[in-house]
Amino acid sequence: MNEEAYNSFESYLNNEMSTEERLDFESKLQDDSQFRESFELYKETSAFLEHKFSAETQDFKKNLASVSKDYFSEEEEEAKVISFKPWYYAAAASVVILLGTWIFMKGPTPEYGDYDQHENASFIERGDADKNLKNAQDFFNKKEYGKAVVSFQKIQNLDNPEHQYFYAIALIETDNYVKAEMLLNEIQHGTSVYKNKAIWYSALSELKQKNMEECKSLLRQIPEDSEDYDKAQELLKELD
Amino acid sequence: MTEKNTHSDQFYIEGLLQNDSAVIQSIYKKFAPKVKNYIRMNSGDDDAAADVIQEVLIAIYNQAKTKGLQLTCPFDAYFFLLCKRRWLNELKKSSNKGVTIKDDTLSISESVQELVLQAEAFDEKQSLFDEMFQKLGEKCQEVLKLSFVLKTMEEVAHQLNVTYGYVRKKKSLCTGQLTEMIQQSNRYKSLKK
Repeated sequence: MNEEAYNSFESYLNNEMSTEERLDFESKLQDDSQFRESFELYKETSAFLEHKFSAETQDFKKNLASVSKDYFSEEEEEAKVISFKPWYYAAAASVVILLGTWIFMKGPTPEYGDYDQHENASFIERGDADKNLKNAQDFFNKKEYGKAVVSFQKIQNLDNPEHQYFYAIALIETDNYVKAEMLLNEIQHGTSVYKNKAIWYSALSELKQKNMEECKSLLRQIPEDSEDYDKAQELLKELD
Repeated sequence: MTEKNTHSDQFYIEGLLQNDSAVIQSIYKKFAPKVKNYIRMNSGDDDAAADVIQEVLIAIYNQAKTKGLQLTCPFDAYFFLLCKRRWLNELKKSSNKGVTIKDDTLSISESVQELVLQAEAFDEKQSLFDEMFQKLGEKCQEVLKLSFVLKTMEEVAHQLNVTYGYVRKKKSLCTGQLTEMIQQSNRYKSLKK
Protein backbone atom coordinates (compact mmCIF):
# COMPACT_ATOMS: atom_id res chain seq x y z
CA MET A 1 0.00 0.00 0.00
CA ASN A 2 1.10 3.58 -0.57
CA GLU A 3 1.24 6.69 1.57
CA GLU A 4 -2.16 7.83 0.42
CA ALA A 5 -3.82 4.58 1.40
CA TYR A 6 -2.33 4.69 4.92
CA ASN A 7 -3.42 8.27 5.24
CA SER A 8 -6.97 7.31 4.31
CA PHE A 9 -6.94 4.41 6.83
CA GLU A 10 -6.00 6.87 9.54
CA SER A 11 -8.68 9.38 8.53
CA TYR A 12 -11.31 6.68 8.38
CA LEU A 13 -10.43 5.27 11.80
CA ASN A 14 -10.40 8.74 13.33
CA ASN A 15 -13.74 9.66 11.78
CA GLU A 16 -12.22 12.54 9.88
CA MET A 17 -13.84 11.89 6.50
CA SER A 18 -16.71 13.72 4.86
CA THR A 19 -19.76 11.60 4.06
CA GLU A 20 -18.75 11.38 0.45
CA GLU A 21 -15.17 10.35 1.22
CA ARG A 22 -16.41 7.74 3.64
CA LEU A 23 -18.79 6.17 1.14
CA ASP A 24 -16.01 6.04 -1.45
CA PHE A 25 -13.72 4.44 1.08
CA GLU A 26 -16.25 1.84 2.13
CA SER A 27 -17.06 0.82 -1.41
CA LYS A 28 -13.36 0.37 -2.05
CA LEU A 29 -13.19 -1.87 1.02
CA GLN A 30 -15.99 -3.95 -0.46
CA ASP A 31 -14.51 -4.29 -3.92
CA ASP A 32 -10.80 -4.53 -3.35
CA SER A 33 -9.83 -7.50 -1.20
CA GLN A 34 -6.17 -6.54 -0.96
CA PHE A 35 -7.13 -3.04 0.18
CA ARG A 36 -9.48 -4.56 2.71
CA GLU A 37 -6.87 -6.92 4.06
CA SER A 38 -4.36 -4.10 4.46
CA PHE A 39 -6.96 -2.00 6.22
CA GLU A 40 -7.86 -4.80 8.63
CA LEU A 41 -4.22 -5.26 9.59
CA TYR A 42 -3.79 -1.49 9.94
CA LYS A 43 -6.77 -1.38 12.26
CA GLU A 44 -5.46 -4.28 14.29
CA THR A 45 -2.00 -2.70 14.51
CA SER A 46 -3.49 0.59 15.69
CA ALA A 47 -5.49 -1.19 18.36
CA PHE A 48 -2.37 -3.07 19.44
CA LEU A 49 -0.39 0.17 19.81
CA GLU A 50 -3.21 1.91 21.62
CA HIS A 51 -3.41 -0.91 24.12
CA LYS A 52 0.37 -1.22 24.50
CA PHE A 53 0.84 2.42 25.39
CA SER A 54 -2.37 3.06 27.30
CA ALA A 55 -1.97 4.35 30.83
CA GLU A 56 -4.10 1.45 32.07
CA THR A 57 -1.75 -1.15 30.64
CA GLN A 58 1.28 0.63 32.09
CA ASP A 59 -0.41 0.87 35.50
CA PHE A 60 -1.37 -2.77 35.40
CA LYS A 61 2.18 -3.86 34.67
CA LYS A 62 3.59 -1.69 37.43
CA ASN A 63 1.08 -2.95 39.94
CA LEU A 64 1.64 -6.56 38.92
CA ALA A 65 5.40 -6.17 39.30
CA SER A 66 5.00 -4.82 42.79
CA VAL A 67 2.55 -7.55 43.89
CA SER A 68 4.91 -10.16 42.48
CA LYS A 69 7.87 -8.67 44.28
CA ASP A 70 5.98 -8.55 47.57
CA TYR A 71 4.81 -12.11 47.18
CA PHE A 72 8.20 -13.58 46.39
CA SER A 73 10.12 -11.60 49.00
CA GLU A 74 7.62 -12.58 51.68
CA GLU A 75 8.10 -16.22 50.81
CA GLU A 76 11.82 -15.79 51.16
CA GLU A 77 11.42 -14.15 54.52
CA GLU A 78 9.26 -16.97 55.82
CA ALA A 79 11.90 -19.44 54.79
CA LYS A 80 14.49 -17.56 56.78
CA VAL A 81 12.62 -17.51 60.09
CA ILE A 82 14.78 -18.98 62.83
CA SER A 83 14.16 -19.80 66.44
CA PHE A 84 13.70 -16.67 68.45
CA LYS A 85 15.01 -16.53 72.01
CA PRO A 86 12.75 -14.84 74.59
CA TRP A 87 15.18 -12.13 75.56
CA TYR A 88 15.22 -10.99 71.93
CA TYR A 89 11.68 -9.82 72.45
CA ALA A 90 12.69 -7.31 75.06
CA ALA A 91 15.42 -5.98 72.83
CA ALA A 92 13.11 -5.90 69.86
CA ALA A 93 10.42 -4.09 71.85
CA SER A 94 12.79 -1.35 72.91
CA VAL A 95 13.91 -0.90 69.33
CA VAL A 96 10.28 -0.56 68.30
CA ILE A 97 9.69 2.08 70.95
CA LEU A 98 12.77 4.01 69.93
CA LEU A 99 11.84 3.76 66.30
CA GLY A 100 8.29 4.85 67.06
CA THR A 101 9.41 7.98 68.87
CA TRP A 102 11.87 8.71 66.13
CA ILE A 103 9.24 8.44 63.43
CA PHE A 104 6.86 10.46 65.55
CA MET A 105 9.35 13.27 65.94
CA LYS A 106 10.44 13.18 62.39
CA GLY A 107 7.78 15.55 61.05
CA PRO A 108 6.06 15.73 57.68
CA THR A 109 6.18 13.26 54.81
CA PRO A 110 9.12 13.54 52.44
CA GLU A 111 8.88 15.72 49.38
CA TYR A 112 10.58 15.90 46.03
CA GLY A 113 12.38 19.02 47.24
CA ASP A 114 14.38 16.88 49.68
CA TYR A 115 15.96 15.08 46.75
CA ASP A 116 16.49 17.67 44.06
CA GLN A 117 20.27 17.91 44.32
CA HIS A 118 21.27 16.54 40.94
CA GLU A 119 24.75 15.63 39.84
CA ASN A 120 26.33 17.92 37.25
CA ALA A 121 26.18 17.12 33.58
CA SER A 122 29.53 16.96 31.86
CA PHE A 123 29.21 15.54 28.39
CA ILE A 124 31.12 18.13 26.45
CA GLU A 125 34.77 17.75 25.83
CA ARG A 126 36.78 20.75 24.80
CA GLY A 127 36.41 21.58 21.13
CA ASP A 128 33.21 19.62 20.76
CA ALA A 129 31.09 21.33 18.16
CA ASP A 130 27.49 20.68 19.17
CA LYS A 131 26.27 24.02 20.46
CA ASN A 132 22.90 22.72 21.65
CA LEU A 133 24.47 20.02 23.72
CA LYS A 134 26.88 22.50 25.28
CA ASN A 135 23.99 24.88 26.09
CA ALA A 136 21.91 22.05 27.52
CA GLN A 137 24.77 21.07 29.80
CA ASP A 138 25.50 24.61 30.94
CA PHE A 139 21.88 25.51 31.63
CA PHE A 140 21.41 22.23 33.45
CA ASN A 141 24.37 22.85 35.73
CA LYS A 142 23.12 26.37 36.42
CA LYS A 143 19.76 24.82 37.37
CA GLU A 144 18.01 26.72 34.57
CA TYR A 145 15.98 23.70 33.63
CA GLY A 146 13.46 25.38 31.34
CA LYS A 147 16.26 26.63 29.11
CA ALA A 148 18.03 23.27 29.32
CA VAL A 149 14.88 21.55 28.04
CA VAL A 150 14.72 23.91 25.05
CA SER A 151 18.34 23.12 24.19
CA PHE A 152 17.83 19.39 24.58
CA GLN A 153 14.84 19.59 22.22
CA LYS A 154 17.05 21.08 19.52
CA ILE A 155 19.48 18.17 19.56
CA GLN A 156 19.01 16.06 16.45
CA ASN A 157 19.61 12.52 17.60
CA LEU A 158 19.11 12.22 21.27
CA ASP A 159 19.96 8.56 21.58
CA ASN A 160 22.82 8.71 24.04
CA PRO A 161 21.53 7.42 27.41
CA GLU A 162 23.60 9.94 29.31
CA HIS A 163 22.02 12.84 27.42
CA GLN A 164 18.58 11.30 27.75
CA TYR A 165 19.11 10.93 31.48
CA PHE A 166 19.91 14.58 32.09
CA TYR A 167 17.17 15.64 29.70
CA ALA A 168 14.70 13.57 31.75
CA ILE A 169 15.79 15.25 34.99
CA ALA A 170 15.31 18.67 33.42
CA LEU A 171 11.86 17.56 32.24
CA ILE A 172 10.88 16.47 35.76
CA GLU A 173 12.07 19.82 37.09
CA THR A 174 9.79 21.57 34.60
CA ASP A 175 6.83 19.24 35.26
CA ASN A 176 6.95 17.52 31.85
CA TYR A 177 6.32 14.14 33.39
CA VAL A 178 5.05 12.12 30.43
CA LYS A 179 8.05 12.76 28.24
CA ALA A 180 10.40 12.33 31.20
CA GLU A 181 8.95 8.98 32.10
CA MET A 182 9.15 7.79 28.52
CA LEU A 183 12.84 8.60 28.38
CA LEU A 184 13.52 7.04 31.76
CA ASN A 185 11.63 3.96 30.76
CA GLU A 186 13.78 3.63 27.68
CA ILE A 187 16.99 4.04 29.70
CA GLN A 188 15.78 1.56 32.27
CA HIS A 189 15.35 -1.06 29.61
CA GLY A 190 18.72 -0.38 28.05
CA THR A 191 22.13 -1.49 29.19
CA SER A 192 23.81 1.77 30.16
CA VAL A 193 25.14 2.66 33.61
CA TYR A 194 22.10 4.93 33.95
CA LYS A 195 19.77 1.94 33.94
CA ASN A 196 19.07 1.83 37.68
CA LYS A 197 19.41 5.56 38.19
CA ALA A 198 16.53 5.88 35.74
CA ILE A 199 14.28 3.93 38.14
CA TRP A 200 15.28 6.23 40.97
CA TYR A 201 14.33 9.30 38.94
CA SER A 202 11.07 7.69 37.79
CA ALA A 203 10.28 7.30 41.48
CA LEU A 204 11.19 10.93 42.17
CA SER A 205 8.93 11.99 39.31
CA GLU A 206 6.03 10.16 40.97
CA LEU A 207 7.01 11.68 44.31
CA LYS A 208 6.88 15.15 42.82
CA GLN A 209 3.41 14.40 41.46
CA LYS A 210 2.48 13.05 44.91
CA ASN A 211 1.69 9.58 43.53
CA MET A 212 3.03 7.89 46.62
CA GLU A 213 1.97 4.34 45.77
CA GLU A 214 3.61 4.45 42.32
CA CYS A 215 6.66 6.01 43.90
CA LYS A 216 6.95 3.18 46.41
CA SER A 217 6.44 0.50 43.82
CA LEU A 218 9.31 1.95 41.74
CA LEU A 219 11.58 2.30 44.75
CA ARG A 220 11.13 -1.37 45.47
CA GLN A 221 12.38 -2.19 41.99
CA ILE A 222 15.80 -0.66 42.60
CA PRO A 223 18.25 -3.54 42.94
CA GLU A 224 20.40 -3.90 46.02
CA ASP A 225 23.70 -3.48 44.20
CA SER A 226 22.83 -0.13 42.71
CA GLU A 227 24.11 3.20 43.85
CA ASP A 228 20.69 4.55 44.83
CA TYR A 229 19.60 1.51 46.83
CA ASP A 230 20.25 3.00 50.28
CA LYS A 231 18.56 6.28 49.43
CA ALA A 232 15.62 4.34 48.02
CA GLN A 233 15.24 2.20 51.14
CA GLU A 234 15.38 5.25 53.33
CA LEU A 235 12.73 7.04 51.32
CA LEU A 236 10.57 3.92 51.32
CA LYS A 237 10.74 3.83 55.10
CA GLU A 238 9.73 7.44 55.35
CA LEU A 239 6.82 6.97 53.01
CA ASP A 240 5.38 4.02 54.92
CA MET B 1 -20.18 -18.21 23.93
CA THR B 2 -23.24 -17.73 26.13
CA GLU B 3 -23.45 -16.32 29.61
CA LYS B 4 -24.28 -19.61 31.25
CA ASN B 5 -21.07 -21.21 30.05
CA THR B 6 -19.00 -18.70 31.94
CA HIS B 7 -17.26 -20.18 34.94
CA SER B 8 -17.72 -18.49 38.30
CA ASP B 9 -13.95 -17.89 38.39
CA GLN B 10 -14.52 -15.19 35.79
CA PHE B 11 -14.12 -12.68 38.63
CA TYR B 12 -10.35 -13.26 38.51
CA ILE B 13 -10.38 -12.04 34.90
CA GLU B 14 -12.51 -9.03 35.82
CA GLY B 15 -10.18 -8.25 38.72
CA LEU B 16 -7.16 -8.29 36.41
CA LEU B 17 -8.99 -6.03 33.96
CA GLN B 18 -9.72 -3.56 36.74
CA ASN B 19 -6.17 -3.76 38.04
CA ASP B 20 -7.61 -4.72 41.41
CA SER B 21 -4.67 -5.28 43.76
CA ALA B 22 -6.66 -7.48 46.14
CA VAL B 23 -7.60 -9.86 43.33
CA ILE B 24 -4.05 -9.94 41.97
CA GLN B 25 -2.70 -10.68 45.44
CA SER B 26 -5.18 -13.49 45.91
CA ILE B 27 -4.16 -15.00 42.56
CA TYR B 28 -0.59 -15.08 43.83
CA LYS B 29 -1.55 -16.49 47.18
CA LYS B 30 -3.74 -19.24 45.81
CA PHE B 31 -2.13 -20.23 42.54
CA ALA B 32 1.52 -19.20 42.57
CA PRO B 33 2.73 -21.92 44.98
CA LYS B 34 1.78 -24.69 42.57
CA VAL B 35 3.57 -23.01 39.69
CA LYS B 36 6.60 -22.37 41.86
CA ASN B 37 6.81 -26.01 42.87
CA TYR B 38 6.41 -27.20 39.34
CA ILE B 39 9.20 -24.97 38.08
CA ARG B 40 11.47 -25.88 40.97
CA MET B 41 10.99 -29.55 40.19
CA ASN B 42 11.87 -28.87 36.57
CA SER B 43 15.25 -27.14 36.76
CA GLY B 44 14.05 -23.64 37.50
CA ASP B 45 14.24 -21.29 40.47
CA ASP B 46 11.97 -18.72 42.08
CA ASP B 47 13.12 -15.95 39.76
CA ALA B 48 12.09 -18.05 36.80
CA ALA B 49 8.73 -18.73 38.44
CA ALA B 50 8.20 -15.02 39.11
CA ASP B 51 8.88 -14.23 35.45
CA VAL B 52 6.63 -16.95 34.09
CA ILE B 53 3.74 -15.95 36.34
CA GLN B 54 4.06 -12.29 35.45
CA GLU B 55 4.23 -12.99 31.73
CA VAL B 56 1.20 -15.25 31.84
CA LEU B 57 -0.86 -12.71 33.80
CA ILE B 58 0.10 -9.98 31.34
CA ALA B 59 -0.89 -12.23 28.44
CA ILE B 60 -4.27 -12.94 30.05
CA TYR B 61 -4.75 -9.24 30.67
CA ASN B 62 -3.87 -8.34 27.08
CA GLN B 63 -6.30 -10.82 25.64
CA ALA B 64 -9.11 -9.92 28.02
CA LYS B 65 -8.63 -6.24 27.31
CA THR B 66 -8.44 -6.35 23.53
CA LYS B 67 -10.54 -9.34 22.60
CA GLY B 68 -12.53 -10.20 25.67
CA LEU B 69 -12.02 -13.42 27.59
CA GLN B 70 -14.77 -15.66 28.85
CA LEU B 71 -13.53 -18.31 31.23
CA THR B 72 -15.30 -21.60 30.65
CA CYS B 73 -13.16 -23.61 33.06
CA PRO B 74 -11.66 -23.11 36.51
CA PHE B 75 -9.02 -20.40 36.66
CA ASP B 76 -6.64 -22.75 38.43
CA ALA B 77 -6.47 -25.25 35.57
CA TYR B 78 -6.24 -22.56 32.92
CA PHE B 79 -3.55 -20.56 34.70
CA PHE B 80 -1.46 -23.56 35.64
CA LEU B 81 -1.43 -25.02 32.15
CA LEU B 82 -0.44 -21.66 30.66
CA CYS B 83 2.44 -21.32 33.13
CA LYS B 84 3.56 -24.86 32.65
CA ARG B 85 3.63 -24.67 28.87
CA ARG B 86 5.42 -21.35 28.95
CA TRP B 87 8.09 -22.83 31.19
CA LEU B 88 8.48 -25.87 28.95
CA ASN B 89 8.98 -23.53 26.03
CA GLU B 90 11.64 -21.64 27.95
CA LEU B 91 13.46 -24.88 28.67
CA LYS B 92 13.31 -25.92 25.05
CA LYS B 93 14.70 -22.57 23.95
CA SER B 94 17.59 -22.59 26.40
CA SER B 95 18.73 -26.14 25.74
CA ASN B 96 19.13 -27.78 22.41
CA LYS B 97 18.53 -31.12 24.00
CA GLY B 98 15.02 -32.40 23.80
CA VAL B 99 13.29 -31.86 27.09
CA THR B 100 11.50 -34.87 28.42
CA ILE B 101 8.97 -34.13 31.04
CA LYS B 102 6.08 -36.28 32.04
CA ASP B 103 3.11 -35.09 30.06
CA ASP B 104 -0.31 -35.36 31.61
CA THR B 105 -2.22 -33.46 28.95
CA LEU B 106 -4.61 -36.37 28.63
CA SER B 107 -6.19 -35.61 31.95
CA ILE B 108 -6.99 -32.06 30.91
CA SER B 109 -10.50 -31.19 29.89
CA GLU B 110 -11.29 -29.96 26.43
CA SER B 111 -12.47 -26.52 27.47
CA VAL B 112 -9.15 -25.84 29.22
CA GLN B 113 -7.17 -26.99 26.21
CA GLU B 114 -9.20 -24.85 23.87
CA LEU B 115 -8.81 -21.73 26.01
CA VAL B 116 -5.10 -22.31 26.42
CA LEU B 117 -4.52 -22.70 22.69
CA GLN B 118 -6.51 -19.54 22.08
CA ALA B 119 -4.45 -17.66 24.65
CA GLU B 120 -1.20 -18.87 23.15
CA ALA B 121 -2.21 -17.91 19.63
CA PHE B 122 -3.16 -14.46 20.85
CA ASP B 123 0.06 -14.03 22.78
CA GLU B 124 2.12 -15.20 19.82
CA LYS B 125 0.59 -12.45 17.72
CA GLN B 126 1.19 -9.84 20.40
CA SER B 127 4.82 -10.79 20.70
CA LEU B 128 5.22 -10.63 16.92
CA PHE B 129 3.74 -7.12 16.87
CA ASP B 130 6.06 -6.19 19.73
CA GLU B 131 9.11 -7.59 18.00
CA MET B 132 8.35 -5.71 14.80
CA PHE B 133 7.71 -2.49 16.69
CA GLN B 134 11.20 -2.77 18.18
CA LYS B 135 12.58 -3.03 14.65
CA LEU B 136 10.98 0.21 13.50
CA GLY B 137 13.18 3.29 13.17
CA GLU B 138 13.66 5.32 16.31
CA LYS B 139 11.76 8.33 15.01
CA CYS B 140 8.79 6.14 14.11
CA GLN B 141 8.80 4.49 17.52
CA GLU B 142 8.83 7.86 19.22
CA VAL B 143 6.02 9.34 17.14
CA LEU B 144 3.84 6.27 17.60
CA LYS B 145 4.49 6.05 21.33
CA LEU B 146 3.74 9.69 21.92
CA SER B 147 0.65 9.69 19.73
CA PHE B 148 -0.89 7.04 21.96
CA VAL B 149 0.46 8.34 25.26
CA LEU B 150 -0.61 11.93 24.76
CA LYS B 151 -4.21 12.92 24.23
CA THR B 152 -4.03 14.89 20.99
CA MET B 153 -1.78 15.04 17.95
CA GLU B 154 -1.39 18.76 18.65
CA GLU B 155 0.34 17.86 21.91
CA VAL B 156 2.56 15.39 20.10
CA ALA B 157 3.55 18.05 17.58
CA HIS B 158 4.29 20.47 20.38
CA GLN B 159 6.30 17.93 22.32
CA LEU B 160 8.43 17.03 19.30
CA ASN B 161 8.72 20.62 18.15
CA VAL B 162 7.31 19.91 14.67
CA THR B 163 4.09 20.79 12.84
CA TYR B 164 0.76 19.05 13.27
CA GLY B 165 0.74 18.06 9.60
CA TYR B 166 4.10 16.37 9.96
CA VAL B 167 3.20 14.16 12.94
CA ARG B 168 -0.17 13.29 11.42
CA LYS B 169 1.48 12.09 8.24
CA LYS B 170 4.32 10.41 10.10
CA LYS B 171 1.89 8.50 12.30
CA SER B 172 0.01 6.92 9.40
CA LEU B 173 3.22 6.19 7.51
CA CYS B 174 4.86 4.55 10.50
CA THR B 175 1.80 2.47 11.31
CA GLY B 176 1.71 1.46 7.63
CA GLN B 177 5.37 0.52 7.71
CA LEU B 178 4.77 -1.56 10.81
CA THR B 179 1.93 -3.45 9.11
CA GLU B 180 4.18 -4.20 6.15
CA MET B 181 6.92 -5.55 8.38
CA ILE B 182 4.39 -7.73 10.17
CA GLN B 183 2.95 -9.00 6.91
CA GLN B 184 6.32 -9.91 5.49
CA SER B 185 7.57 -11.77 8.54
CA ASN B 186 7.69 -15.54 8.47
CA ARG B 187 6.08 -15.71 11.86
CA TYR B 188 3.01 -13.91 10.55
CA LYS B 189 2.77 -16.23 7.60
CA SER B 190 2.85 -19.27 9.83
CA LEU B 191 0.26 -17.71 12.15
CA LYS B 192 -2.14 -17.23 9.26
CA LYS B 193 -1.97 -20.85 8.25
